[in-house]
Order: sequence, then C-alpha cells, then structure tokens
Amino acid sequence: MGTVEEIGADENVQPPEPPQRRSPVRMTVRTIGELLITVGLVVLLFVAYEVYVTDWISAGKQRDATAALDREWKQPPSTTEAQRKAHFQGLKEGEGFAKMYVPAFGADYRFTILEGTTESTLEVGPGHYKGTAYPGPTGNFAVAGHRVGKGAPFNDIDLLESCDAIVVETRDTWFVYRVLPKDDEVSGWAAGKGKRARCKGVAPLGGQYTQVRGQEIVLPSEGSVVATVPHKDVVPPPDQQVGLMTLTTCNPKFSDRQRLIVHAVLVHVISKDDLAPGQLPDEMKES
Amino acid sequence: MYGWIWRHLPGPFAVRVATATVLVLGVVALLMFVVFPWVEPMLPFNEVTTQ
Repeated sequence: MGTVEEIGADENVQPPEPPQRRSPVRMTVRTIGELLITVGLVVLLFVAYEVYVTDWISAGKQRDATAALDREWKQPPSTTEAQRKAHFQGLKEGEGFAKMYVPAFGADYRFTILEGTTESTLEVGPGHYKGTAYPGPTGNFAVAGHRVGKGAPFNDIDLLESCDAIVVETRDTWFVYRVLPKDDEVSGWAAGKGKRARCKGVAPLGGQYTQVRGQEIVLPSEGSVVATVPHKDVVPPPDQQVGLMTLTTCNPKFSDRQRLIVHAVLVHVISKDDLAPGQLPDEMKES
Repeated sequence: MYGWIWRHLPGPFAVRVATATVLVLGVVALLMFVVFPWVEPMLPFNEVTTQ
C-alpha cells in the first residue's frame, strides 16, 4: 500500500515541474540573473583587491627595497658603488636611494623612495620624478606616491599642516623639509602661525616662488608643479634657488580627476657625521 | 547556470561541496592574481603623477 501511495504521490507532484524547468524563458531569465549577481560579486572582489590585496603585495616589495637599501648603506663608503649612490648618479629605474619620514604621522611612517615613477616602481613605494632635483639646497625634489592601495604611502598627505616636517634620509645626510604655509595662512603669517618654534625657517617664499603654497589641487596636466620653480618655466641661477620637496598623489581618493600637491621647503641639513651613531635628528621626535 | 554546474558535479553531497569550494577558490585566485592585475592599469583610479 505504502509503495503504491508513494508512486501515486510522485506522479501527482512531478509532472507539472519538468515543463517549467525546461521553459526557455525561465532558463534565460534565471541565467541572466545569475550572471548579474556574479558580475556584482566580481566588482566587490575587485574593490577588496584594490584596497587590501595590493597593500599586502606592496608591503612585501617595500620591505625588500628597504632591506636592499639598508644593506647598501652598511657597505664601506669608499666603494665606487657607494660613491655613485651618494651623489645620486646613474640611478636605475626602481632603485631605492633615500628614506622619507613624516613624524606627524607617527614613528612607523617610513618609506624607501625609489627612482622613477612608472607603475611598477610606484607599486613598491614613493617614486622620484626623473629629471627633477635630488634632496639638497637647490631645485625641486619631486616624489609621487599612491593614495589608495599599493601601500598607499601618500594616503594622508592632505592632512599635512604647514610646518609639519618631512624628513628625508640619504646615506650620509638628513634633510628636513617643512610644509609651506597654505593659501589661507599666507597673510599674517609672520604675526600668526609663523611665530611657532616649529615654523622656524618656514615663511611664504618671495621672488619667483611667491605663488608656491603648502598645498594645492591641480589638474593632471599641470606637470609644472614639479618644475624647479613650481608653475614657472624659468630656472633661476642656483644661488637664487630654494630647496623644495614636492609630493604628488591622486585626488579625490579613488579618482584620477585631479592631483593633490604638497610643497615643502628645506630648513635643515644634518650630516650623519655630526650625530652620534644611531642618533636621530630632533625633528624626528615631533608629533 | 549554477544549478547546472551543481547537478553535473560528481559524487555524494559532501564531495560536491568540497569540489564547489575548490572551484570558487580557483576562480577567486584567477581573478586576484591574473585578471585584476591585468585590468587595473586600464582603469582611472590610481594615476598619481602629473604629466
């Protein structure tokens, strides 16, 4: 009896189903729906890749670049290789040559700066614009860095205040740059913020440099922000040049519509010979 | 589509779940390590230099 009933029940339930399942319209709609959900998941996965996975990959590459630079700096200074690096000569694309620190971002903010600004170099860390100056009292030391993913070295540079220190370490020397006054701080600088101890050596620049500000947002086509005198097509004689450092990154976050630019001025150069071994410049203790 | 794949997976339920998981992970890995790195430079998210 039970078996008969079961067979009877099966026969009652099953017949209407197969035609529905095989209906081509139903199949098509279902497949399109599944494809759309799949595309949505893939896009979400891409966001996760862009924001997190590239960070992990870049962190490893940056660690390797820093380790390679540390090894080089330990070599005796007499080697020709060391001499070449000390004068920034013949740097190859992707070769690390300096480290940068922003004490305001915490003691763990440090990145090895590499030569060049190709995609594969910027994946490792901040990259130096070829053809612009190297750290020093003249010229514009220009560096590009990612703001989102790829280690995001320049994620927070919009938060840099005027007078915040950007410290660049090379084999033999510490270079301390400070962010220039921003647009709304220029008037009344000397009587206002310029009085702070930290702002010693920082003031709105004169001469050819009058228009240079601590922060600006420009179009991607504004290549002149990394010029010797930003936005000017002139190269003054070295004794009239100011030592600048320029950071560039994308703006707003997740977009390449604009570029965020930070200009800083060299205020202090310290030879490592003048410091005890392992001693850091005072500026590194700022917060 | 997913129903079709599920119906064509061999073995009992537990084996099907295991095979399906491996398939999903394989697709994710293919996207993360091959497709996304290839697509990324063509998308306008991360240009940080000026020309």
